[in-house]
Amino acid sequence: MGLASQLLYYSVHPNQLRSILQWKLWHDPVHTRNPDKESPTLRECFKYLNLTSRSFSSVIQELNPELLVPVALFYLILRGLDTIEDDMTIPLENKEPHLRNFQNILEQDGWTYTENGPNEKDRELLVHFDVVVTEFKLVKPAYKAIIKDITDKMGNGMADYANNAEHNVNGVNTIKDYELYCHYVAGLVGDGLTRLFVEANLANQALLKRPELSESMGQFLQKTNIIRDIREDFDDKRRFWPKEIWSKHVTNFEDLFEPKNLQVALNCSSEMVLNSLKHADECLFYMAAIKDQSVFNFVAIPQAMAIATLELVFQNPEVFKKNVKITKGDACQLMMESSQNLKTVSEIFKRYVRRIHKKNNPKDPNFLEISIACGKVEQFIESIFPTQDPKALALLHKGEIAPEDARKKAESAEANKDVMYLMLAVFGTLLVISALMIGAAYLAGARFDVAVNELKKGKIFPKFDKGSEEAQGIAQQYDHGEL
Amino acid sequence: MAPIPSSQKKPLGNVMVIGGCGFLGHHIVAQLVESYNCKVSVIDIRTVRNRRDGVQYFDGDITSMESLLPIFQKTKPDVVIHTASPQLHGGSKELYRKVNVDGTRCVIEACQETNVKALVYTSSASVIHDNASDLINADERWPIIPAKSQTEYYSQTKAEAELLVLSANRSLTNPSLLTISIRPAGIFGEGDMQCLPPIMAVYANNQTDFQLGDNTNLFDFTYVGNVAHAHCLASLALLTTSTMKIKPLDTEKVDGEAFFITNDQPVYFWDFARAIWKACGSEKGTEHVWEISQDVGLMIGGILEWGMWVVGRAPKLTRRQVKYSCMIRYYDCGKAKRRLGYRPLTGLPEAIEQSVKFILEEQRVEREKKGQ
Repeated sequence: MGLASQLLYYSVHPNQLRSILQWKLWHDPVHTRNPDKESPTLRECFKYLNLTSRSFSSVIQELNPELLVPVALFYLILRGLDTIEDDMTIPLENKEPHLRNFQNILEQDGWTYTENGPNEKDRELLVHFDVVVTEFKLVKPAYKAIIKDITDKMGNGMADYANNAEHNVNGVNTIKDYELYCHYVAGLVGDGLTRLFVEANLANQALLKRPELSESMGQFLQKTNIIRDIREDFDDKRRFWPKEIWSKHVTNFEDLFEPKNLQVALNCSSEMVLNSLKHADECLFYMAAIKDQSVFNFVAIPQAMAIATLELVFQNPEVFKKNVKITKGDACQLMMESSQNLKTVSEIFKRYVRRIHKKNNPKDPNFLEISIACGKVEQFIESIFPTQDPKALALLHKGEIAPEDARKKAESAEANKDVMYLMLAVFGTLLVISALMIGAAYLAGARFDVAVNELKKGKIFPKFDKGSEEAQGIAQQYDHGEL
Repeated sequence: MAPIPSSQKKPLGNVMVIGGCGFLGHHIVAQLVESYNCKVSVIDIRTVRNRRDGVQYFDGDITSMESLLPIFQKTKPDVVIHTASPQLHGGSKELYRKVNVDGTRCVIEACQETNVKALVYTSSASVIHDNASDLINADERWPIIPAKSQTEYYSQTKAEAELLVLSANRSLTNPSLLTISIRPAGIFGEGDMQCLPPIMAVYANNQTDFQLGDNTNLFDFTYVGNVAHAHCLASLALLTTSTMKIKPLDTEKVDGEAFFITNDQPVYFWDFARAIWKACGSEKGTEHVWEISQDVGLMIGGILEWGMWVVGRAPKLTRRQVKYSCMIRYYDCGKAKRRLGYRPLTGLPEAIEQSVKFILEEQRVEREKKGQ
């Protein structure tokens, strides 16, 4: 957008501008990293973090100092892995060993990789990967073990996919395959991060016993992105929407993009949205276990963006034409609301779920299922933040009042008292001033007796003689005069 | 459900289903016969409808001990499932009291006199509802509405009967009788007269263009098969408890307890209606729908009620209907899931599909009969 069009946009969307300014001016990070105390190689690492990540770099840099470096390096390592996997110019026989061996590369001093094609956007990171290796070796052994384990699993998963000719030609087949793919690229990250949080004692240990929760965190983000990126991926000749879903609506994948098939394409995207929405309640459950504010912001902000994106793509014909994105203003608003607590994040989820429900149409083959999925999220939020209190209801039926209500009642009685005093003061002042004015008039010789007599005769409005014709003529002249 | 091989069927002994020819009752009988190892007998006021092979039927009146006791003595039930109740609408206060309260008292007495081990009572989720306020994710901690605030006499009598049943659990005089109360929320399904037919009639009369309220209110509708399943699980849980020598922990206790049973899928009120219309064949979206706010709806309902009362006809819209379609009314069935191992067997979409199909077929047969 040019400057002029931006100005025009924000002049008709002042709320968007307000959110952006609020975020930029008032946002107060829980922690701020201090580059002065960092080694040159670590500063290099953060340079690459800013280069390679758009959405995560700022939340990572506000993390608790205990996890700041491990998480930043974890991100760079996975990004490095991804850059090898993604690059179609690298032959498979070169690619596969690197993918399968990446967890060992992490501790090879001076390791760099220069075989990426010139157009690979994150090429620079691998060219200078030695700085990541240097810093990785300084990380606490417990964190290092977790990062290596995830790198191992993800690298092997990616190598399996790279070897799978069927996947590369026809894309994802079943819903199970789709979820397995999302597990490798996102679920594993969720698993690794959770283990880091627990190891640093910044999240409840119970999360380790409920791996499906961290899995859902990753699945929800990944699936939502896959729905949003359908057009971009299609143009890049990649298909992540599982055939098991799209084949219910169209014969060939390409048909989704034909304008004449818009209705069935939307039905298909609804089913994809439904598939993603099913993780939403578990994401909220997961976030309830985070003990540290900076970690909470780190996990909650992407989730809030995901539910908003899911609402944006739901029943939106644009997704088949271009890459749709939530507006910058909305993103700032969401970041502000989600970097507070579980209650505010739940409010966001409820708000967007209601919007999805509002757009849901009986003509959609998955109409009722979507309604149920929305209801499930609402019910879950109600289970962690109940609106009704059975104890208060019980007291109410006994004719007593619950403490909460008693407090409210006392407050409102107090407020009534205040209003009474205020009125008293106002009328008192009026009375005094009136008395003073009448007194002054009396002293100046006002004939109240005449006024009272006139009123008794029923003459409420005084009448004055209009004066002679001549005098009126003169008066009229001056009515229109240029005095 | 796939048929269960008889070797894996859980034993329930002699089971007596009171009201076993009724809407819910005959679904319970069907599940007992198909999925459990037991001998089923049924008492109902008239036993001509909803009959099943392999089940013994007795005409009986639950408000009379003379009628009830001989049947109990003859069939020697281990488990009694008491589902008999008049319909929610149309009954007189005397009828509700006689069947729900006095009848239940008789059933308890008969159980005590014939050494029945387990009594499962069908209560109602409406015992905690005053028919006006919202119920948001309510569970068993919610208080029962006392008689003075209960505007629905039916619910008041169900609550009284539930109290009688639960008080009879491990009573001093009859410590061997265990009792449980099941509170289903909004039952629908094949054979239903109260929930689906009125909604289907709205479609048949082409009146789907209105929506009362903003449709953000979640509501529980429970498939009858799932409610029947909960009754069977409750019977099994009570029988298991009765064989234990020690009393169960408070957090695992099922005897003397009440349980809400839902489909565990609250949906927005009008979405449920629209899903039913869709199952009836509607192809409409929501573009044509005219939204009427609750206040306006209440006003129209009030005017219609008075106007129709003057001319002596039934109003097409009542204030009660307006309130119900705008209120939040859903429950948390977590206790039943934890203690009874309850999971809904049939999800809402499938349940609506098959129930609507069944009712449409029934109506077709009805019309053909009339045509002849």
